[in-house]
Amino acid sequence: MHGRPRKDPRPKDAAVAAAKAANLRDLQVQLLHNHQNRIYTKEALAACSKLLEINPEVYTAWNYRKLALQHNLDGVTDPDAVKSAVNDELRIVEIALRTNPKSYGAWYHRKWVLSRQLLPAEFEREFRLLDLLLKADTRNFHGWNYRRFVANLKSVTEEEELKYTKKMIDINFSNYSAWHNRSALLSHVLEKDQRFEFKKSTLTEEYGLVHDALFTDQSDQSGWFYYLWLLDQTVCVNDPKLISSWPAHGSNLILSTSNKINDCQLFSSSKPSSFTLLQAKTFPIILYFNKAVKNVNSSTVVVSSMFVSNEDLTWRPLSIENSEKACCWVTFLKVPDEKCSGSSSYPIEVSLGRCKDTISSNGSYCKYPSEFTFTVTLKDHNSEQDIVESAEENVVWNYADACNRKENLYPLLFDQLSITEDHVAEDLNWNLQTLSNEIELFREFNDEDSKFVKLTLARLLVFNDIMMLNGTHSQLGIHSEEVLTLYDDLMKLDPSHKGFYEDERSVVLMDQLTSDKDSLIKRCWYFDKPTSSNFHHQSCLRLSNLSLTRIGSVKNLLWVQLLDLSHNKLRSVAGLEALQLIVCLNLSHNQIGSFTALESLKVLSSLRVLDVSFNKISACAIDTRRYLCSSPLSHTVDGKQIIEEYEKENTMVQDHWEVIMFLRALHLTQLDIKGNAALHMNFRGLAIELLPTLKWLDGERIR
Amino acid sequence: MSLRIGHRRIGFGRPKPTHSRNRTSTSRQARADASAPSSSCLPTSGITSASMESSPSSSSLSQPHPTPPPTSSGPPRPTITQLEQFNVEAKVFEIYRMLHGADPSTRSVMLEIWRDKHIEFLTRGLEQLGPSFLVLDANRPWICYWIIHSISLLGDSLDSELEDRVVEFLSRCQDQNGGYSGGPGQMPHLATTYAAVNTLITLGSEMALSSIHRENLVKFLHRMKDSSGAFRMHDGGEIDVRACYTAISVASVLNILDDELIKGLGNYILSCQTYEGGISGEPGSEAHGGYTFCGLAAMILINEAGRLDLPRLIDWVALRQGVECGFQGRVNKLVDGCYSFWQGGSLALAQRLFPILQSQSESSLAGGVQASADCTCDFTTVEAGLDENLCTVGTSHCESAKGVEGELSDLGFSFIKRHSECGPLFHSIALQQYILLCSQVLEGGFKDKPGKQRDFYHSCYCLSGLSVSQYSWSGDADVPPLPRAVLGPYTNLLERIHPLYNVSLDKYYKAHEFFFNI
Repeated sequence: MHGRPRKDPRPKDAAVAAAKAANLRDLQVQLLHNHQNRIYTKEALAACSKLLEINPEVYTAWNYRKLALQHNLDGVTDPDAVKSAVNDELRIVEIALRTNPKSYGAWYHRKWVLSRQLLPAEFEREFRLLDLLLKADTRNFHGWNYRRFVANLKSVTEEEELKYTKKMIDINFSNYSAWHNRSALLSHVLEKDQRFEFKKSTLTEEYGLVHDALFTDQSDQSGWFYYLWLLDQTVCVNDPKLISSWPAHGSNLILSTSNKINDCQLFSSSKPSSFTLLQAKTFPIILYFNKAVKNVNSSTVVVSSMFVSNEDLTWRPLSIENSEKACCWVTFLKVPDEKCSGSSSYPIEVSLGRCKDTISSNGSYCKYPSEFTFTVTLKDHNSEQDIVESAEENVVWNYADACNRKENLYPLLFDQLSITEDHVAEDLNWNLQTLSNEIELFREFNDEDSKFVKLTLARLLVFNDIMMLNGTHSQLGIHSEEVLTLYDDLMKLDPSHKGFYEDERSVVLMDQLTSDKDSLIKRCWYFDKPTSSNFHHQSCLRLSNLSLTRIGSVKNLLWVQLLDLSHNKLRSVAGLEALQLIVCLNLSHNQIGSFTALESLKVLSSLRVLDVSFNKISACAIDTRRYLCSSPLSHTVDGKQIIEEYEKENTMVQDHWEVIMFLRALHLTQLDIKGNAALHMNFRGLAIELLPTLKWLDGERIR
Repeated sequence: MSLRIGHRRIGFGRPKPTHSRNRTSTSRQARADASAPSSSCLPTSGITSASMESSPSSSSLSQPHPTPPPTSSGPPRPTITQLEQFNVEAKVFEIYRMLHGADPSTRSVMLEIWRDKHIEFLTRGLEQLGPSFLVLDANRPWICYWIIHSISLLGDSLDSELEDRVVEFLSRCQDQNGGYSGGPGQMPHLATTYAAVNTLITLGSEMALSSIHRENLVKFLHRMKDSSGAFRMHDGGEIDVRACYTAISVASVLNILDDELIKGLGNYILSCQTYEGGISGEPGSEAHGGYTFCGLAAMILINEAGRLDLPRLIDWVALRQGVECGFQGRVNKLVDGCYSFWQGGSLALAQRLFPILQSQSESSLAGGVQASADCTCDFTTVEAGLDENLCTVGTSHCESAKGVEGELSDLGFSFIKRHSECGPLFHSIALQQYILLCSQVLEGGFKDKPGKQRDFYHSCYCLSGLSVSQYSWSGDADVPPLPRAVLGPYTNLLERIHPLYNVSLDKYYKAHEFFFNI
C-alpha cells in the first residue's frame, strides 16, 4: 500500500547493495531466532534495533520489542531501569522515523509505549519530535494523527492546539492539514462552549485569519476550503424550526364528502382562503422544517382534532434518500364516517413542543415551540359544481383561455407560519453583520474576474437573503438579481462547471419567483371559462421556460395541485416529493434521463396526470446524479414479490426493473411519455399492465 | 432552500482542465451540459471525437496556470506548495505541448504503451528477488503482487517454473495459524495477506489457489477483529481503514465472509468519512485517496455503501483530478500516478453502485428482504393508494447484512456482473494521458510524476488506473471498450480488472468458480 518504502529499483552499486542485503538478512535471521525462542537480552534487542534502523517496516520486530519490554520490566520497580528501557524504545522509534517518517509500525510502537504509562511522559520531547517531523513534511498525516494522540494523552486544551495550527499556518498558509486540524478542533471547542458571545468572537477572529490567506494568494486552495467551513459555521442554523406547513395557519379547508373515493378530484379554488380536498375523507398535514430532522411522531407533534386521536397518527418522512431524517413530514387524517353527514366546521390545532427528540443531524433539537391552527369544513360534494373527474377527459396543458387574476390567489400562501422571532434576534444580527461585511469585502474584489470570488460572493448573498427571510419577513430576495447575474457571469467565465452553476441559479430563480407575492401571481394561471379546458375553475402554477435544471423553494409550493414545469432543463425532480397535493404535473420537454430521476414522484399519492413527454428517459437507465435510489435493496419494496409477480408473466424483470418499480408506485389516470429516446419496445404494454387505473396514454384512450 | 454548503459543490478545488479553444461551440455545449450538476464537476459523459483529438490539457498551454495570481493586491507571493505545484504543472504541460505539436503518427507513438519494456522491467524485478526468495524485508508478498498483477494487466504471465517458485514462497509466508506474513517466520499481517491472496489468484493455477488455507485464514481474520468493529493490521498492530479493507477483500474473494467479521465495521468506516467527503485513515484525520478507496470498497463488500454520504464522497474524489490530468491524493497535494487507481478506482466503484443495489434484489430473494421487513416502521397505509415506500425510508442497512453468508461473499461477483450504463465520473481520457505521458518510463515501469523514479508500486497502480479508465465507458463486463475510449493505439488496451479487489477480471472469475464450488 502507499507510503510503504519501495525497493530501490536501481541500486547504484551492486557490491554495496549485496553487502547491505547480506547484513539485513543476517539481522533478520537473528530477529526471528530471538523472537521464536523468546530471547530478550540486551544483545538481542540491539540487533533488533539495527534491523529497524535499516528497515522500519519489519513489524515483527516491533512486536518483538513490545514482548521484550513487557518481559524485561515484569516485576521491575527500579525507576531508573524502567526509564532506561522506555527511553530505548522511544529512541529506536525516532531512529526508525528518520529512515521512514511514514512507517506505520514505528508510529504505532510509540503510541503503544506511551499508552503503557510506565513513567510520566515527557511531553516536551514528544512535541519537539512532532515539530521536527511536521516541519520536514507538513502534510504527514501520521504526524498529525500522532499529535492528536499526544494532545489527548496530555489533556492539552484545544486552545493550545489551535495555537499550534496557527503557527503552522503562519509558516505556510497553504498547509491544508493544519487548516483541517484547525476546523476539527474548533468544531469541538464550539460544541463545548455554546455561548453565543464565544462563538461570535471566535468566528470573527477566524475570518480575519482566513482573509489574510485568501487575499495573499487567491489561487491557493487551502484557505478557500477553510473559508467554506467557516461560512458553514456562520450561516448554519443550529436549531431546526418549522418554516412552512400545509394547511397553512388560519386556512379553511373545505372537504368534499363524496363517496367516489377512487376517482381523483381536482379542487376548486373559487372561494378565497379555502381549499377543497382532493381525496375524499383523507387529507394530509405537511410539516416543512428548515433542516432535516428525525423523530417526528405523535409524541413530538400534537394534533388536536375531532376526527382522530393524536396517538393514532403516524408521521412519515418525505425523503427519497434512504434515511429517517427529512425536512418534510406528512401524516394523513381520515375523517370518520359519522362526521361526514351534514356540513359543519371543525378546528384543528397542530403544535410542536420544545422537544429534545426532534433532532437534526448535528444533534440540535427544536428549542422553540410552534403551533398553527386551521379549520376543516365538511360539505356535500354535490353542492360543488366545479369538481372534475379528470379521468374522463384527456388533460391538455393549454393556457389559451387562462388568465392571471389577483383575486384567485390564495391569500395565505405567504404567511405560512407566524413564528415569533425574538429569540433569534441577537444571533441573527451578528450573522447578518458578518455576512454583509464579507459581502462588502468580496464585492471590492469582484472586478478581477476570479471565479472563486464571484462564486463566494453569490453564496454570501444567497445566505444573506435566507437569513433575512428567517429574521424579518420584510426584505425578501433582495439580492436575487445580483446573484443571478453572478451565476450568468460564472457560466461564461468557467463553462466547464456550467451544470453546477445552472443548478445554483435554478434554486435562486425559483426562490425569487415563488417567495414574492407579485411575481407568484404572474405565474398562477386561472381557468375561468367552463369551456376552456379540463382545468376549469382551477389555478395552475406555471414555471415553464425558465431554464431550470433542478427544483428549489419547495416550502413555498406545498399547496400546489397543478404544476407546469415544462420546457425547462430539469435533470432531476428531487424536492417534488414534498408536494403531496399535486394532481397534475407537467414535466414535458426537460432533460430527465431515467426513471430513477423521477423517484420523487413515487411518493405523490394524489398524482393522477403526468406528462413526461419529450425527455431523455431511458437514454441512460441510471440517474448518474443520484446514487441512492430506492430499490429492493433499500428495503422499501418487497423484491421477492415483484419478481414472482412479473416473472410468471414472462416480463423481463431484470431489464425493466426501474420501469416496473416506478410505474407500480403510481396511480395515474393519464400518462404522456412520447418523445423519449429509447423506451423499451414493450413499454406500452407494461404501462397498461402496471397502471390499472390508467385511462389515457399519450393522448389515446386505452380503457 | 438548503442551508448546507457542501464543499462538494464548490467549483474551487482544482479547476478542471479547460477544453481547447478551437473546439466547436456545440461540442463544448454538449460537454458542459453533460457535467453532473450535483455530483462531479467533471463531465460524466459525452466523449466526442473532438475531445479525443484535443485532449483537455492542450488548452492549458495558453494558460500556464489556471488562475493567475492577483495583480492588484501587491506582488504575487506564491506559497511553497504552489511553487511546487507550478513546477509540476510546468513539467507536465511541457510534455503535453510536445504531444500537441507532434504530427499524428508521432503522437500515436508517444501515446503507446511500451509493453515489452514493462514486462522486461517487471520480470527482471521478480527474478532479482533472488533464486530462493531470500527474506530481505517485510513486504515480499506486496512486491510479488505489484509485479505479477502488473504483468497480468499487460496480458502476459510468468513461466511455470517461476510461478511455482512464487507459490512455494508464499506458502512459506503462510502462518500455521492462518494469514500471510511479510516473509517466512514473520508474523501474519493483513496487508501482506491481501497481497499474497491477490497474487495467488492472479497466478490462478490449481496449485496456487489450493495453497490458501481458508479455514485458518478465517480464524486469523477473526483474531484481527477489534471490539470497535474495525480490524487490526496484526497482533498488537494498528487499527485503520486499510486493515478493514484488506480483511474484507480477502474474506469476500475467498468466500469466507461471515456476520461476525462484518459486525460494527460499517460504523467504524462511517466514523472516518470527513466533512470534506472523502474517508480518512482513522477518525479525526483528513480525507485521503487511498483510504477513500479502501473504505468505499469495504462498504460495498459488506453491503453498507448506502450509509456513506456518496454524493459528497464522489464530489470530493472527482475534484481531486486536476489540470495535470492525474489525481492528487489529498487536498492541495501534488498529482501522483498511483492515485490513478485509488481515486479513479473509487469512481469506478461509484459508477457501478446502482447495479450492486439492484443485484441485491436477486440475492435478497433468499432472505435478505425478509430480515429487513422486521425493521420497517409500524406504519399502516392510510389508504390503498398510498405508497408503501414511504414507511420504510431507510432504517436498516445493518440488518440487511445479516443475510446468508454465501450471498455476502457473492456481492463482489454480482457487482461486476451487472450492466452499467453510466459513464465515467472522471475524465477518463485525461487520466490515460497523464499515465501514458507523465508516469510511463520508456525503459519500462511507471512513476509518480515527471522527475521521480519508477518503482513496482507505481507500476502496479498506474496500470490498474489505466485499465479502470480504458474500461470506464463499457457497461458490461464482457464487452470490450470502443476504440475512442482508449487513448493511443487500440493495442494499448489492458486486461480488465475487478475494481473491488484489484485483480484481473478473468483471474477473478476463475477464483470465484474455485472458491464458490468447494
